[in-house]
Amino acid sequence: MEIKELSFAYKHRAPIINGITTEFQKGKITTIIGPNGSGKSTLLGLMARNYIPQAGKIIVEGRQLQQLKAKELAKLLAVVHQQNEAPYDLTVERLVAYGRLPYRHMFSQETEEDREAIDWALEVTKLAKLRRQRLHELSGGQKQRAWIAMALAQKTSVLFLDEPTTYLDIFYQIELLELVKELNETYGLTIVMVLHDVNQAVRYSDEIKVVKDGSIIAEGAPEDVMTVELMKQVYDVKAIIRRDEETGMYIVPIAVKA
Amino acid sequence: MTYIAAIVLLIGVTLYAMRTGSIKVGLAELISGLLFGGNDNVDVIRDLRFPRIIVAIMSGAALAVSGVLLQSVMRNPLADAGVIGISAGAGFVSVLTVMIWPMLFFWMPLFSVIGGLIACFLVYAFSWRSGLQPLRLILVGVAINALFTGLNQLLGFRGGIAMSTANQASSSMFALKTWDDVKVIVLYGVIGLIAAFALSTWCNLLALQDRTAGNLGLNVMRARVIVSFVAVLLASVATAIGGLIAFVGLLVPHISRQLIGTDHRLLIPFSAIMGGLLILIADTVGRTLLTQTEIPASVIMTIIGGPFLIFMLMRSDRVHGN
Repeated sequence: MEIKELSFAYKHRAPIINGITTEFQKGKITTIIGPNGSGKSTLLGLMARNYIPQAGKIIVEGRQLQQLKAKELAKLLAVVHQQNEAPYDLTVERLVAYGRLPYRHMFSQETEEDREAIDWALEVTKLAKLRRQRLHELSGGQKQRAWIAMALAQKTSVLFLDEPTTYLDIFYQIELLELVKELNETYGLTIVMVLHDVNQAVRYSDEIKVVKDGSIIAEGAPEDVMTVELMKQVYDVKAIIRRDEETGMYIVPIAVKA
Repeated sequence: MTYIAAIVLLIGVTLYAMRTGSIKVGLAELISGLLFGGNDNVDVIRDLRFPRIIVAIMSGAALAVSGVLLQSVMRNPLADAGVIGISAGAGFVSVLTVMIWPMLFFWMPLFSVIGGLIACFLVYAFSWRSGLQPLRLILVGVAINALFTGLNQLLGFRGGIAMSTANQASSSMFALKTWDDVKVIVLYGVIGLIAAFALSTWCNLLALQDRTAGNLGLNVMRARVIVSFVAVLLASVATAIGGLIAFVGLLVPHISRQLIGTDHRLLIPFSAIMGGLLILIADTVGRTLLTQTEIPASVIMTIIGGPFLIFMLMRSDRVHGN
């Protein structure tokens, strides 16, 4: 996935993405980090075609994003948003079945392939036993997994996650990131996600892209990218960076002034 | 189960409505009269009462389904063709057209749809920038409704040639409905209802957020326009033939959701049945309650609907619509 000279501004506002050019590696986990308002979620939104860029192009699997039909796009990449709304009586199973929409026509019946994809998505996200439950009766972590299951049912090779852990307890945060890792390692999904927590980004990513003021100011392997200087430059905090035998690099912000 | 109960109830009320009224006949007499003729009472019922029953059921079904569609497309459980001005717009444009060019009478449903589309467009135009925020959308709708209702009344005051047609489209009298009316409403109504059912998957997706629906391969803008169009078609045709009836599209979908849930594949047909049932009951009660005079179904609906709307507004932050 490639991005060339991408620029975007919300109506009547200052530009939020300023001519970004970058590349996302196939089969890897790439995490976009940056402070609030840096444009990191907007960047992901542009890549998911939730917004139309004013300039530049995005190329997915060799094809220009803007030229794809809605259903074609939905077969290439799936998106899990940060916050989701659903009717009060929507069951897990029905939600996950929505993921099969790109493969269906107006009056077509559910095929064997559809059923297999739904069962697989429920299995991977450990929701098989909860399939008949209503979404609203689930815990925050289970709910988020259900939305991931819907995206998985789309059977795409690329999965986007926008701050998937933000509203979850620590247990569910780690559980979710482990799931993301499994999806990448076992099923070869290309993952692009936006995370708030720099340590989670370091621990679970092959590559990190740091966004500030609508530009990518650093990118590469976590060990190379995350430095004391970068923490100061991006977040305006003094941080110490240590290494642990078990977890590798970890970052502790300790003061607001360097 | 709930489905069967609703269908049985609709058939039961229809049979009762056929027999009762100023002329009463038994069921056996009715059937033999219909099959073999020669019964003056049954002939009168066939020409006067049957059309009105069919028009009542179809109007109710069309308005209820129109409500379901509008609520889904506007993501607002309070949207209803009567409340947000679509019916009033439909009534105004069709009456105005027929006043100016009386020979276009048979094209009334068409002008009705045009009027409905104008009103619907205005509501969208004025509430789009707030992201179709529920309260704002309803307030804009109420204003549009007030505007067209006022214009309708203006036409009514002109008197003369306008009177007969204006009354028809502004206060819903199911009496004086003919088989010609039945043909129009059944034709467009059935087309609209089938289209609505075909759109049920889209409606389900529109209940999610726009971006989620988009990432699932739905062309959200196109879906919005098409679903809105079908909703306006249903509401406008119902208004052109059955007259202005408020709140059906509000009451019926709400009750239906409580009974069978929010899956539009079930909700749309069920709302059609419930809507037909409700208006048929309102009309039948209206013509049998008082012996000297008739209460229009629209009046009965307004009396039930007003308080219901307040009730819904009061609990609107936890309504189940979306």
